[in-house]
Amino acid sequence: MKTARIMAAIVLVLAGAAALGAHYLAPAGYEQQFRMSPDAPPSTQHLLGTDDLGRDRMARLLYGTRVSLFLAPIAAGIATILAAFFGGMAGYFGGWVERCALLFVDLFLSIPWLFLLITVRAVLPLNISPQNSVIITFLLLGFLGWAASARVICAGTKELMKSEFVWLARASGFSGFKLIRLHLMPNLRGTLLAQFWISVPVFIITEANLGALGLGVTEPLPSLGSLLGELQSVIVLRPHPWQFLPLVILIVVVSCFQTLLNSSEVRT
Amino acid sequence: MKRLLWISVLLFLAVPLFAQSGGELRFSIYSEPKTFHPLRTEEISSDTIRYLTSGVLLRLDRITQKAEPELATSWKVLDGGKRIRFTLRQGVHFSDGTPFSAADVAYTVQQLMDPDLHSTTGDAFRSGSGKVVTRVVSPGEIEIIFAAPVAGLAELFDTVAMLSAQSPQKEMAVAGPFYVAEHRAGSYILLKKNPYYWKKDSAGRQLPYLDSIRLDIQQNDEIQALRYSRGEIHLINRVAPGIFDKLAAQGTAVQDVGVSTDTEFLWFNQVANAPIADYKRAWFASANFRRAVSEAINRDDLARVAFHQHASPAVGIVSPVNRFWFNSKLVRHPYDPASALRRLQQDGFHLDNGVLRDKTGHEVEFAITARAGDEARQQMAAMIQQDLKKIGVKVNIAPVEMSALIERITTSFNYEACLAGHTRVTLDPNAQMNIWLSSADTHQWNPAQKSPATPWEAEIDKLMRAQASSSDERERKKYWDRVQEIAWEQEPFIYLVNKHTLVAIAPSIKNAQPSTLYPQAFWNVEHLSLNH
Amino acid sequence: MWRTLGLALLRLAGIMLLAGLLGGTLIRVAPGFAADERQLDSNLSSQSIQAVRQARLSDSNIPRFYAGYLASLVRGDLGTSQMLNQPIRDLLRERLPITLRNLALAVLLAWVMGLALAAATQLTGSRLLTSTAEGLSGTFISTPAAVLALVFVLLRLPPELAAALLVFPKIYRYCHNLLRQGYDRPHVLTALAKGAGRWRVLVWHVAPVSLPQMLALLGVSISLAIGVLLPIEAICDVSGIGQLAWQAATGRDLPLLVNLTLVVTFLTASATMFSDLARKTMTRSEV
Repeated sequence: MKTARIMAAIVLVLAGAAALGAHYLAPAGYEQQFRMSPDAPPSTQHLLGTDDLGRDRMARLLYGTRVSLFLAPIAAGIATILAAFFGGMAGYFGGWVERCALLFVDLFLSIPWLFLLITVRAVLPLNISPQNSVIITFLLLGFLGWAASARVICAGTKELMKSEFVWLARASGFSGFKLIRLHLMPNLRGTLLAQFWISVPVFIITEANLGALGLGVTEPLPSLGSLLGELQSVIVLRPHPWQFLPLVILIVVVSCFQTLLNSSEVRT
Repeated sequence: MKRLLWISVLLFLAVPLFAQSGGELRFSIYSEPKTFHPLRTEEISSDTIRYLTSGVLLRLDRITQKAEPELATSWKVLDGGKRIRFTLRQGVHFSDGTPFSAADVAYTVQQLMDPDLHSTTGDAFRSGSGKVVTRVVSPGEIEIIFAAPVAGLAELFDTVAMLSAQSPQKEMAVAGPFYVAEHRAGSYILLKKNPYYWKKDSAGRQLPYLDSIRLDIQQNDEIQALRYSRGEIHLINRVAPGIFDKLAAQGTAVQDVGVSTDTEFLWFNQVANAPIADYKRAWFASANFRRAVSEAINRDDLARVAFHQHASPAVGIVSPVNRFWFNSKLVRHPYDPASALRRLQQDGFHLDNGVLRDKTGHEVEFAITARAGDEARQQMAAMIQQDLKKIGVKVNIAPVEMSALIERITTSFNYEACLAGHTRVTLDPNAQMNIWLSSADTHQWNPAQKSPATPWEAEIDKLMRAQASSSDERERKKYWDRVQEIAWEQEPFIYLVNKHTLVAIAPSIKNAQPSTLYPQAFWNVEHLSLNH
Repeated sequence: MWRTLGLALLRLAGIMLLAGLLGGTLIRVAPGFAADERQLDSNLSSQSIQAVRQARLSDSNIPRFYAGYLASLVRGDLGTSQMLNQPIRDLLRERLPITLRNLALAVLLAWVMGLALAAATQLTGSRLLTSTAEGLSGTFISTPAAVLALVFVLLRLPPELAAALLVFPKIYRYCHNLLRQGYDRPHVLTALAKGAGRWRVLVWHVAPVSLPQMLALLGVSISLAIGVLLPIEAICDVSGIGQLAWQAATGRDLPLLVNLTLVVTFLTASATMFSDLARKTMTRSEV
């Protein structure tokens, strides 16, 4: 497993370096349109071919990876922190605090947030840059994507509050934030890490789906999600193998995250 | 020679014999039809059902673009378009056996002109205030009298479905080749052959040849294409360009019928009280600015790349396929970035380190709004963005969800430029009254003006009213040609491309004659047959 | 028990009422509420366009609309869809059973796959199995729902299986982490050290510790599955409420959207309520 973790770290560092060094690895850039060769197969000039508008796929993949891999973990972190806050608070205090918090969580899970997102788009200026648009989208996802996990964390917190070591800690004078930080959160690590790991690819994909509402990345900036979205129009009728590369990249990155986030296995 | 003549006649008569009857035609519609009432159709799905089931007094032949008799054997337009007299076909019945007569025509007109109807069909006949009156001249003749002349009157009846005044089935009793037999919500609509359909082929055989038509509700273009390639459906009425090429590469039967009347265009917001910066409003109001943007856009590339060569650069308002009404003196705007820059310089714009600035120093930057999720338009916007970058203009692309987009361009006017299109454009210019009249709600760049904001819009108003009140086609053409010239000079709409009609028709379908006019693949549905 | 059940039902009704009102408010304030595609139709006269717009604004006062809706609801009338001109009760009666069936199957399959894989990786400790499970869960969580749905149409596979494959990674991840956390407990380490069998340790020591969170996850997995199933239904043209929901959202069909919000709230809240009750019952019985 140690080898696996090292390998995963190397892959992530390489992916990150490639994404950051996109300008050097793909000097054509993500927006230049080679209009005489749209939808071209891989060649020496375009290692992964070109898309429907003749843009270099390699460049778009590198820049798209940069956008998504930088922003999605931040959004996932926000969602995890919010889930920990609401779920932890509900489980810690119990009683009416728990009831109100869980009521809020259930409402949050049921409301059609689609219309809030449409409203947000309307409020944003029309001339917002693609970079700012995608940042705002990921932030929104972070603030809206925490509710499912909060319940699980609440249940975990309640169980921990009944455990002997927490009783001992409380008897020793630990309470409030210190108790949460030193005794509760570490024992909820598994749930929190699960939330984080799930959120990264889900947010990447959701950002692309929000393109139907006018949010997310806008032309010409690519994101991993928007490149994945292109698969929809090719998957049914003769897709080319290189069109699956964004999916492969995401699977590899997500698997590497998973390997790194796992704590050591128990071996007997 | 005589022998050759006899062989030709025999062959002509034999064609219907080879057309095997029976079978179920299958194709898809995009959504659940909102209504089955043929006079209230709002969208393509309900309009498709209307077309397949309704009997009309006359039908526009989609190939010759001429009106042909249907439930009326002849008609005469009188008083410059204020009256029209129809001689009705005898022995016709609705799908439930109820006989068709002049009373049904009168009833249909009464329903059509109901002020609460609010349908495109009814509004097309509202030429002035005042009632529309019907007069039964004889059992087989009826005259309809309008309050004011209606331009292109006869052809408008192509979309007016005859309703039965007597049938207990009300609007579900139809006089067309099929009737609605079954409807499973969200799944399909089954149409069956109308046993009382009046039409016969040249050999005297009862039409339609088909037993039934099954319309599956299918939103996804890719799945529709997959089902077509598997043989689960027989035709696709409108194929997206990218999918067309893939189907063609597979060897599946598809056809580029040619240039259609559909257009794609860009316009700038010229509404006086729109919430945009004054300096931007000044740019958009300048014809030089609009012409410069037009000259900086490479239409050949748009047609070739965004539409996979299944579009043609547009000239102006009217597509060349509209043979009579197209102003053939007009030529397409050239792609000439250098000329575009010269025009802009006339208005005080200048390049500053590759960035175009106006005379007050503002960087020329604006947002193009387009419907989110519309792949072709997003691609066009991306190409226009790159083209305008070459003359120093920064374009931001702002995809907006459909309902929010409608609100922006019709109510709040909170947009700068918009990329959109006209589809199912009818041939007669009168259908575009509400686009070109400055007081109209769909005068997109500056709707509902109390008085024309510019002299050229005032001239267009005069010309449109003149063509609407004339019954002389040559005179109307003269007026419409001049409107096209003004639109070409001023470019309130920067016309980009005319899309081609792309259809997929399985080889098992016989007698298909796809047209560039709606409904492209099945306009002659009563003559279609399936080869078993 | 009756008191608990009564309070739970009251809570459910309260959540549904609130969700309907908040959802309706969001729909109303979102731009495009009064917009209709017919406003762009140049074949319509100005009067017709104004009439279309006025018709859309008829439900613009949300409190009044909602009060009227609730009054009708008591009589069993769910209103009429503005978009489809059909009674919503009929629409739901035709489509809801299909979605409920698909939802139940998707959740069941997702749990069977997720829990079985999580338990198997802990029981066997096999690196190959763990890598395979993580690879599968990584693959399916990275695949867009639309892409998987299209692949399933291509392969003629049932759409509920696609939904299950998209939900199972989440179940697997949580269960895997919870079970592993359970194995880290001192009493479990002691039991293993004393030679207790892995099955016995899993069933009697690890599972009970993880159960409360898993029960909470069970409640939440309904909501996760709905979120995945509705777009799959829309793409695969299954005549469930997924197709209806997307059309209603794009058409701003307020009566239909409010009803669909209530349906989703009912499913989500009753699932979480059930899991809460189960959790309370089981943890009480352990003490």
